[in-house]
Amino acid sequence: MFLALREMSRARVRFGLLIGAVGLLVFLILTQQAIEGGLVTGFVGALRQQSAPVLVYSVDGQRTLQGSVIDPGLEAKIRGVSGVAGAGWIGQSTFTVRVDGGAESDAALIGYEHSGLGDPSGLSAGRRPVGPTEAVGSAADFTVGSRVRVVTSGPSGATGPVFTVVGLVKDAQIQVTPTLFVPWAGYEAAVKAANPDATTVLPSVIAVRPTSGVSDIELVRRINAASPDADALTRSQAASDTPGVAQVQQSFQLIFLLYGLVVPLITGLFFLIITFQKAAALTLLRAIGARSGALVRSLLIQVLLVIGAGIVIGVALFAPLTLIRLGAITIRLNPGAILFWSVGLLVLGVASALVAARRVLAVDPLEATTGGGGL
Amino acid sequence: MTTLAESAGTFDHALEMRGITKVYRVADDEVVALDHVDLIVASDEIVALVGPSGSGKTTLCSIAGGLLSPTDGSVVVAGREISGYSGHQLTDFRRESVGFVFQTVNLIPFLTARENLLVVDEIGRRLGRVARDRADQLLAELGLTDRAANLPAQLSGGQKQRVAIGRALMNDPSLVLFDEPTSALDSSLGDQVVRLIREEMKARGTAAIIVTHDDRITHYADRTVHIEDGRIAE
Amino acid sequence: MRLALREMHRRPGRFAIATVILTLIAILLMFLGGLLDGLVASSTGAFRAQRADLVVYSGNSRNSLERSRIEPDVRHQVESVPGVTRVGGLGSVQLGGRIPGRGARDLVPTVLFGYELAPRGLPSTPPGAGTVYADDSLRAKNVVVGTTIHLGPARSAVTIVGFVSDTRYSGQGTLWGSLETWRQVLDANRPDARVGPGVVQALVVQGVSLGRAGLPEQIDRATDGATTTLTITEAINALPGVSQQRTVFNQIIGVTVVIAIVVVALFFALLTVERTALYGVLKAIGASSRTLFVGVVLQAVVVALIASLIGVVASLVLDALIPAGTIPFVATPARLLSSAVVLVVAAVVGCTFSLRRVLRVDPAAAIGGAP
Repeated sequence: MFLALREMSRARVRFGLLIGAVGLLVFLILTQQAIEGGLVTGFVGALRQQSAPVLVYSVDGQRTLQGSVIDPGLEAKIRGVSGVAGAGWIGQSTFTVRVDGGAESDAALIGYEHSGLGDPSGLSAGRRPVGPTEAVGSAADFTVGSRVRVVTSGPSGATGPVFTVVGLVKDAQIQVTPTLFVPWAGYEAAVKAANPDATTVLPSVIAVRPTSGVSDIELVRRINAASPDADALTRSQAASDTPGVAQVQQSFQLIFLLYGLVVPLITGLFFLIITFQKAAALTLLRAIGARSGALVRSLLIQVLLVIGAGIVIGVALFAPLTLIRLGAITIRLNPGAILFWSVGLLVLGVASALVAARRVLAVDPLEATTGGGGL
Repeated sequence: MTTLAESAGTFDHALEMRGITKVYRVADDEVVALDHVDLIVASDEIVALVGPSGSGKTTLCSIAGGLLSPTDGSVVVAGREISGYSGHQLTDFRRESVGFVFQTVNLIPFLTARENLLVVDEIGRRLGRVARDRADQLLAELGLTDRAANLPAQLSGGQKQRVAIGRALMNDPSLVLFDEPTSALDSSLGDQVVRLIREEMKARGTAAIIVTHDDRITHYADRTVHIEDGRIAE
Repeated sequence: MRLALREMHRRPGRFAIATVILTLIAILLMFLGGLLDGLVASSTGAFRAQRADLVVYSGNSRNSLERSRIEPDVRHQVESVPGVTRVGGLGSVQLGGRIPGRGARDLVPTVLFGYELAPRGLPSTPPGAGTVYADDSLRAKNVVVGTTIHLGPARSAVTIVGFVSDTRYSGQGTLWGSLETWRQVLDANRPDARVGPGVVQALVVQGVSLGRAGLPEQIDRATDGATTTLTITEAINALPGVSQQRTVFNQIIGVTVVIAIVVVALFFALLTVERTALYGVLKAIGASSRTLFVGVVLQAVVVALIASLIGVVASLVLDALIPAGTIPFVATPARLLSSAVVLVVAAVVGCTFSLRRVLRVDPAAAIGGAP
């Protein structure tokens, strides 16, 4: 420990730069992890938070709420499948709104027919809507008591329905847009106001609950077998199979991989270089009786200190970001992710130092007599 | 330190080498570095080992100090037979029982003079306070108290050599091996250093082998042994 | 200068380490940049292809094509603004397409556009009813001239009569037909988004301002706020996700560049330590600090250039290997070149950290020669 610390304190610049590099990398990895999580939640959070265990899209909808439409014929087939305990309409569209008379903004409306089939499973504040002009809003975007007016595409000032936010739900956006869950009647009114040419307002998706004894997966299979136009998914499938989600996750995973590789590469090569540079001192220590195990331990202590300090710096740089919002994405401090990366980077860092460790073990104390043991 | 208590009065000779042979195999050839060498060093004797380069004096010194194992023969240092020791055992032996002052690299560049002495305690028994006191005492004896906090880069050649001597004495060895201690110093400085060596060794009653090719400093030794072509010349 | 290069030539191992790490960083920069470019290109192709100066949305559509509606009377108002030379309607609908040879549930996401004012690559007279041009990206789905695609739940049939490149929208392949085709398909498949006759989603406008105010302001004033008019560039940047993607990615790229600087500083500091004796001797025989430092900078530039070269090759290989439609990565010359330039600049900045140490080397110490 003494040797490890002494060397570090006498070479502050180089160790400082290394710790700085590791710290910045850790910061970037944590930030990107949070952005990925925030993006995915922003895209499909509402699907995860809503109460229906099974959602039936039309195949043509390609697993997007907004693209899917269920006509009455298909709906009848779905309701006729054995194992369906309850079914209800869900519709989704995005509108221009004014919140509390403020500037125009976007809002996604999710209309549901029955409570328990499409409205949020749990609320973080307030209560559920009672009438068609009440709504539950995504907690990051709305406050209880807000009044949200749907603005139509006609001349400015034309009236659309007004919703009062009576409850909030966390992590419940869709399409990275502020989201409101409203009873079907309110949703229908909004759609008709925004597009006066519209005739019927059909549901985007049928929410289904299985009878007891039938699993969600089994019901999905039965519904898909009942009609080639039906695309049934469990709640979690609906979230993960939404187009774009897989792409975001794949892209980020490749990014993580690359950044994750940079850390052990930098530490491993750094320690290899300095081991070569202090070969003479290592030879001397071995000659005067230091055990090679002790010298390797000293090296590993330095690796752990460097990566540990880098992790601390990286987390410290990342933490303030959790207080701001990047656009519509909420950055959350995820202790699990921090733990995962800390352990992973420490392990990788130690593994990367093994090459240097081998060099330490290969030091021959006899070289001290032949002129220094340098290379 | 306990080695002092152990070693006091339990052996006659600091070093007994009998029939030491060292053969290196280089491709198909055999190089005989040492050929049936005998060497006895009394417990407080200073021996100068003189010979031309390539004579085997460094090899002999290395075997005496446990840096190298002989091909054949027996090495007994302060009553311990080390010729059959494994690498691990030799490491422990070097740490506890001998001191080295090398020709070139002697000091850890990122440690101060005082820390260079304390590193011996650090890699060994960790006696803490006792070691720190000993280090300060040695530094004072060697006239380095005001240089204790300097790094090697800030010390002159002679000062560096004195720090090395201090470090070699930290573990209270039975035998100290000096490999060409003056070759990097001018003649008056070299003279000073060897005189210092003699003072320190005699003050402690510690045995020493000084390897040198310089005849002029041999009069500081109790005895001179000449070696040539791997054999002791009497 | 020659000395610096010769050192690299004779002792490549020394610089290999810094080169390896910088190569990884170069690949990171180029990959991130390529990802951003790919994402943006796949979202904005349809708009970049427009041969127009302005895009007109309805006033409260929040610049969203899907939510915008331009009625015929508003269109007349726009057309009568002095300076406006040509106006074309634009409509879009996002539907799943069934292509012969693919399974019943295996739909291809497409966006059908109806146009009047031809974007680049499309005929000035839109193809006849029921026929469309397809974006090149759809070739990967085995679409050829003559293929009939059935769109949406109503299975509206459209036949491909040609291809056009780089016109994707929202990450999806596009089909381009007349406004008539668009309206038919929209009405059949999206009853809740049906539009009346003459209604389009947006207008694309060619023209120049004849007054003191810009043309967009003049148009919005003429329609009394019923429209929001943007320049084509503004409209592209307002497409969903584009500006957020740019911001996020550019921030990540920015921090990566800082990391590159730190890494170069670190490894060149290590290199300099090894060469202190060499520098001492050089200074003793008369080399100035400036000469030595220029040598160090040169080495940093060479390392960065080699790393960039390997990065470029790796990016091109990656571009070829990644199957179309998975990761939206595209390697453009502009991005690769700018990444290389940024890396070289970062390397130069990084090695200035070693400047002090080079300056401090004392030639007198070299002559002493003591280790």
